[in-house]
Amino acid sequence: MTDTPLLSVENLSVRFEIKRGGWGKKSYLYAVDDVSFQVPKGQTLGIVGESGSGKTTAALAVARLVPAHQGVARLGEDDILSKEGEDLRRMRRRVQFIFQDPYSSLNPRKRVADIVREPLDSLSDKSEAEKKKIVDDLFEAVGLRPEQQRLFPHQFSGGQRQRIGIARALATQPELIICDEAVSALDVAVQAQILNLLRRLQAQFGLTYLFISHDLGVVQHMCDSIAVMYMGKIVEQADRLSLFNNPQHPYTRALLSAVPRVDHPGQPSRNRVLIPGDPPDPNNLPPGCRFASRCPIAKPDCSQREPLPQSIGTTHSAACHYVGTDALDAIGMAD
Amino acid sequence: MTDITPDKQTPRAESPLREAWGMFLRNHAAVAALVVLVLICFTAVLGPWLYPTDPFEMVWAPFSPPGDNGFLLGTDYLGRDLLAMIINGARVSLLIGLAAALVSIFIGVTVGALAGFYRGWVEEVLMRITEFFQVLPTLLFSMVLVALFGASLPMITFAIGVVSWTAVARITRAEFLRIRELEFVMASRASGVPNAKLMFGVILPNALPPIIVQSALMVGSAILFEAGLSFLGLTDPNVVSWGQIIGSNRQYILDASYTVTLPGLAIFITVLAISLVGDGLNDALNPKLRQR
Amino acid sequence: MALLEVENLRIELSTRDGTAPVIDDLSFHLDAGETLSFVGESGCGKSMTALALMGLLPERIGRIASGAIRFDGEDLTKASPARLREIRGNDISMIFQEPMTSLNPVFTIGEQIAEVLRAHQGLSRQAAWDHAVELIDAVRIPNPKGRAGDYPFQMSGGQRQRAMIAMALACKPKILIADEPTTALDVTVQAQIFDLLRDLRAQTGTSIILITHDMGAVAEMAERMIVMYAGRKAELGPVAQIINHARHPYTQGLISCVPHLHDVLTEDRPELFEVPGIVPSLRDFGRDECLFASRCAHVTDQCRSARPPEKSFEGGQIADCWHAEAM
Repeated sequence: MTDTPLLSVENLSVRFEIKRGGWGKKSYLYAVDDVSFQVPKGQTLGIVGESGSGKTTAALAVARLVPAHQGVARLGEDDILSKEGEDLRRMRRRVQFIFQDPYSSLNPRKRVADIVREPLDSLSDKSEAEKKKIVDDLFEAVGLRPEQQRLFPHQFSGGQRQRIGIARALATQPELIICDEAVSALDVAVQAQILNLLRRLQAQFGLTYLFISHDLGVVQHMCDSIAVMYMGKIVEQADRLSLFNNPQHPYTRALLSAVPRVDHPGQPSRNRVLIPGDPPDPNNLPPGCRFASRCPIAKPDCSQREPLPQSIGTTHSAACHYVGTDALDAIGMAD
Repeated sequence: MTDITPDKQTPRAESPLREAWGMFLRNHAAVAALVVLVLICFTAVLGPWLYPTDPFEMVWAPFSPPGDNGFLLGTDYLGRDLLAMIINGARVSLLIGLAAALVSIFIGVTVGALAGFYRGWVEEVLMRITEFFQVLPTLLFSMVLVALFGASLPMITFAIGVVSWTAVARITRAEFLRIRELEFVMASRASGVPNAKLMFGVILPNALPPIIVQSALMVGSAILFEAGLSFLGLTDPNVVSWGQIIGSNRQYILDASYTVTLPGLAIFITVLAISLVGDGLNDALNPKLRQR
Repeated sequence: MALLEVENLRIELSTRDGTAPVIDDLSFHLDAGETLSFVGESGCGKSMTALALMGLLPERIGRIASGAIRFDGEDLTKASPARLREIRGNDISMIFQEPMTSLNPVFTIGEQIAEVLRAHQGLSRQAAWDHAVELIDAVRIPNPKGRAGDYPFQMSGGQRQRAMIAMALACKPKILIADEPTTALDVTVQAQIFDLLRDLRAQTGTSIILITHDMGAVAEMAERMIVMYAGRKAELGPVAQIINHARHPYTQGLISCVPHLHDVLTEDRPELFEVPGIVPSLRDFGRDECLFASRCAHVTDQCRSARPPEKSFEGGQIADCWHAEAM
């Protein structure tokens, strides 16, 4: 992976103000805290994590849909986060978003052709005829019939609506598409159709994906490299094979072992890494490792000292004090 | 079970509006009320031509009971034809009801939309203003306005509108707060749609159903409000309205009760019809009742 | 005799376009201490089956048209509403997908569990409270004495689901129906809930009916499963046997269209198996043909001419497909 990255995010933080009543001191919740990652052109980076991990917020910040607090996000050579006005509009043309909920992501009052055309109307100065041609082509590319363009969103099934959402995201010929839980609301059979479609479109148009999901199976299938987030931090980052075959962070191991498998029906997963309890209160995080309170190998030191990402080979890093030590063997993976 | 052949054809583009109309038609009370309302509107518009008696002219002996000498509804204390008064009064009552509702919708939607869309200090300021208007004693405030600036039709309309926009503002704001978080609004933002268009082209059309329902009900309450004001004598003496008929005949309620009850009945039927239509609109536009 | 026997159950739902059989001729049994799983896409009738077992079909919209639900020999389709209320909570209880909305937000979880105990077992206020605390401990919520006084909004999603389980188990039911109990939860919390359900079953001998769309969850939790499609049973049998060799093309599709995690990942990433199209609409339910035919790769004229019969295989596997033997 020596290609120059299309998207490069450095030390990104996103914070939300929390109201504490009265005129007291303002306090902030860091939904994304000092996160860095890169996505090479034409590839897919997956960000996985549980609810509250900050994965969606990070994606929204990259798309300039929530304001970032600190950090840099570069698309090629251009800084995304500092753009305003006309430059921002030009940038939006290059970065598009596919949303989770196929029911709420389409405006119920508009015909679907107009929904797909909306980015062209706002972001391009193409003629009506050109726009019409683009919309026609997009409907074909995502597997919808031309005569369906006149219909309204409620006349489509969930899978078809997600196809419309994909067509809208493709309208301005973006370089980067951010898929935020793009298939989690769909039934499994339809999910397979959409995942295959996304991969076909990627090959066809040379798209780069930032793929946000909580489903490890889907991420494993879709992504070339993966970042695992926990409580606003990336805890482990690796290429696909290293992450799934040789996970280094205790949280990644716990996550992988928690997924029910079909390989060995009738018995619970072997070697389950039990992580008791719930994530810590995001308003009141420990100074050290955020996973320490649930980590099976945590030592007292862990909740005091923050672990920094440590490299394991060229494409793999994990933020744990015990990477490469015997301590990790205690939570060894299956096989 | 009836066998329905599955149509593999592309269905007709069924707009949400057309679908809502279909739902409305299923509510029989609302449809009946709508028919009544249309009749009342026809009377208001065409009545003075079809029944050209001057409502201010003394045409017969005062206090003639209904039916006397061909005057279908009788005459009032000045011997004026009550039927002509009610027909002409319909014009003024409906006009004031509609215009006052429009005024309050205009103020309410603007305030609510800005507050719900921009949040922050804009919301704080606008909602404090809304609360200020909400705690004003509405009747008293509008009486003061009319008393100060004169009892002309535009002034009465404005006075009613300016005291009743707060409900619309609150509903609009609540809808904006809900809808602005939906993903399709986010998608429009990602598509670079400018703020003004986001507010009025994307969010507002989706916020309309409860606003429409509220507006329909507001026409009814504005008619009642106008009746109240004119009953108290705060009315344009050059026009006749239902409330004014009641107000001017109120001393004779025991001797000639029909002079008060008949215009009262007109108000009652009109406001009831408007409420039923509003109810029907609520059912038709409420997405929870509609099947996906 | 099986604990629960369902015979030729037919549930009709009235819609704008007439009545549709959302459950069409369904028969199955559940043994004591067994976990049976219903799998299928949304709208296939999984949840409707559960509601029928609980006697909670939506009033005036859904009704049991024919068939029998025999619980301990008693036909629940003929039971009075009072008797059904008695059975609900005492003998059959249910946990739902969204624990936030199925708990009453204005009472503490201790009060809510104690209320169930008082209503069904006639315990005194103090005894019910003490037992509630024990139950909260049994579902592994730390500091049960303190947490019993918490309101639902003070708890995490996983803990709320634990509280729901505690409430469902309060009267030691013979059957626990879990309708997508972990769909709204994170995967690490899901693993905890599954462990808990498995352990509780081992301790109390409660039978579990697990309704889910996740074949992995089925594989991990259940002994037998029923695959539902468009209100009909597609396949029924032992979980391991069906996963290894499904006889119904829909079951095969359900298993292979999901990108599963495997022990060793390879570079190889083939396209996912696709089941084309979508589930039929309600108005097509009940037609005398195979309802899966329009999406099936093995379809023949026979499939469109008549509803496929049950075909039995060894080990109790049953597939409703004209071509089951050839699969």
